[in-house]
Amino acid sequence: MRGIEERNNIRAGCLALLVAGMFLSLSASAKDLKVTVLDADGMPVPDVAVYLQADKSVALPPPAAFAVMDQVDTRFDPHFLVVQSGTEVRFPNSDVVAHHVYSFSNPNDFILPLYKGNAHPPVTFGESGVVILGCNIHDQMLGYILVVDSHAFAKTDKTGVAVLPVDDVPVTSVKIWSPRINPKGEVLSQVISDGVSDNFVFRLSGKLRPAHDSGSGALKWSDY
Amino acid sequence: MVRLLVGLLALAASGALMPAAAQASRNQFSIGADLGYVQTAGYTSWTEGFVGKLRFDDGSDGLVLSRSFIEYLGRISDTLDANVSAGIYADDLGSPVDLTEAYLEWRPVPRSRNKYRIKLGAFYPRISLENTGAGWTSPYTLSSSTINTWVAEELRIFGAEFSVTRRPMALGGNHQFGLQVATFRGNDPTGSLLAWKGWSAHDRQSRFGDELPLPPLPQIQPGMLFELQDPYVAPFREVDGRMGFYVNGEWQSGSRMLVRAMHYDNRADPTIIEDGQYGWYTEFNHVGAQFSLPGNFALVTQWMNGSTVMGPFVDGAHSVDVEFDSKFFMLTKTREDNRLSLRYDNFEVTQNDQTFEDDNQEDGHVWTITYQRAFSDRLSFAAEWLSIKTHHYGWVYYGIDPTRTETQLQLSLRLRFSN
Repeated sequence: MRGIEERNNIRAGCLALLVAGMFLSLSASAKDLKVTVLDADGMPVPDVAVYLQADKSVALPPPAAFAVMDQVDTRFDPHFLVVQSGTEVRFPNSDVVAHHVYSFSNPNDFILPLYKGNAHPPVTFGESGVVILGCNIHDQMLGYILVVDSHAFAKTDKTGVAVLPVDDVPVTSVKIWSPRINPKGEVLSQVISDGVSDNFVFRLSGKLRPAHDSGSGALKWSDY
Repeated sequence: MVRLLVGLLALAASGALMPAAAQASRNQFSIGADLGYVQTAGYTSWTEGFVGKLRFDDGSDGLVLSRSFIEYLGRISDTLDANVSAGIYADDLGSPVDLTEAYLEWRPVPRSRNKYRIKLGAFYPRISLENTGAGWTSPYTLSSSTINTWVAEELRIFGAEFSVTRRPMALGGNHQFGLQVATFRGNDPTGSLLAWKGWSAHDRQSRFGDELPLPPLPQIQPGMLFELQDPYVAPFREVDGRMGFYVNGEWQSGSRMLVRAMHYDNRADPTIIEDGQYGWYTEFNHVGAQFSLPGNFALVTQWMNGSTVMGPFVDGAHSVDVEFDSKFFMLTKTREDNRLSLRYDNFEVTQNDQTFEDDNQEDGHVWTITYQRAFSDRLSFAAEWLSIKTHHYGWVYYGIDPTRTETQLQLSLRLRFSN
């Protein structure tokens, strides 16, 4: 019941803002939920995962057919991927060199050798959490997959904004995570409660870790 | 030489017909050949048994097959690799084809933040930041820095290296710290060339069986102090049965920065000579760093400082007792398929002994500028100009000017094939 109440509250809030929204914002539809992530200085933070936490009692719609975490120029591409729990993730390896991708992040740990001629089965991440990816051949490779029990997720853009569609699935909170905020996996959360608007702002208090930068490409690392 | 060239071209042509590999297979072969035009000005090369700092001299000006290699990487299992590299040279320092490296590497999949690696066999110590390509070639220049030229000449580990690296997530995951400890045999005559020939700048890698000529030093002639010394150095021999070691520490930040520092000690007995090869007690410290800079620039720098001694300790010094020091700074920039690299080396050998007619003191510097253009993964062109100025007092023994600037222009077509 609580979920329905909250949903109704969100809808009410959405309706209340609809008129104002028509004047103020033409970009987001009335049923969208806008999340802005700012650092301690008020500057936008891009590439932060934002997702809506559904009520535990409801069954989520099935995840997307698959997601892709590629290996390009001995880097994970994207560096950071968000998927719904139960999603198959493919690791195609677009490099000429072999990779040996692994993670020891419980409970989503896996080992995946990526050679020519090998069948590379996709990896299904069944449990929510942060999966830290490494390559056992190329030490400098580092990637992240955030597995969420949510069907509504996105990453913030350059302006620190992510827009999530609000549908019929009851949601209880909006959560954010980025390896720059906490590489180990703790997420920040705001409860979606009575009277709340469709506009959430996360103002980060701590210092952000430097963005993952793979260098200029002028250096040639050993690739065997 | 001609037969070798024809054979390699045939090999290269067959490689060119191979379909491009979409991904690395479990058995990976890399073949490389550098065909070049060389124009030099300087003394007769050390490879001909004289004092020239370069690999080439008047006798080799013109078209040369400067280098070729075959590298095999076999994945015995997902965590066990076999690496074998052979170098092919058309000179008289060894057989035409011989091995430069041969080792096994075990990389168990990490179960925690610690990564463990074990290398077993014959391999380069963890020094060069330049020679990161297949066959230990450099993506930056044709000729190596003086430090890595010496590494290629006289250093190889016949033993085991144990490595542990850790990526503390508390630092955001970008940083990685590593510690490598190695123990090895062989490498007892290592240091002979640095003391008796001095630093050089070239791209020749010694193979296991190579015999590297010494200059016609007065003291290795019949009837002189070191008459038992062969006129060449076989740097990888075991002379005294004592194991050497090195310890190396590294700090890496993503693909942006790497800093490494090593202490190497071959623990050789400097009083032993066996089969024409002295033991040279050689130890050094090495620091290397590379940084990725904005605008597709990168800076690579290394510094090495050490000493080598040979002979009994009498009156405060060994018969040969020298300190050696070299450093280089290289700035490199890429723009699409073009790369431009500029390097400055400074080198020095300081003499501490008083042995008559064996003055090994030298100092000098090198400027190297290299332009490369890649036409494909298989074919690239490089043009390099190198100038090395040396003051080496001992050269007066041969009636030549002890101060000399040697120059080399090299144009090279670099062919690379892999399955």
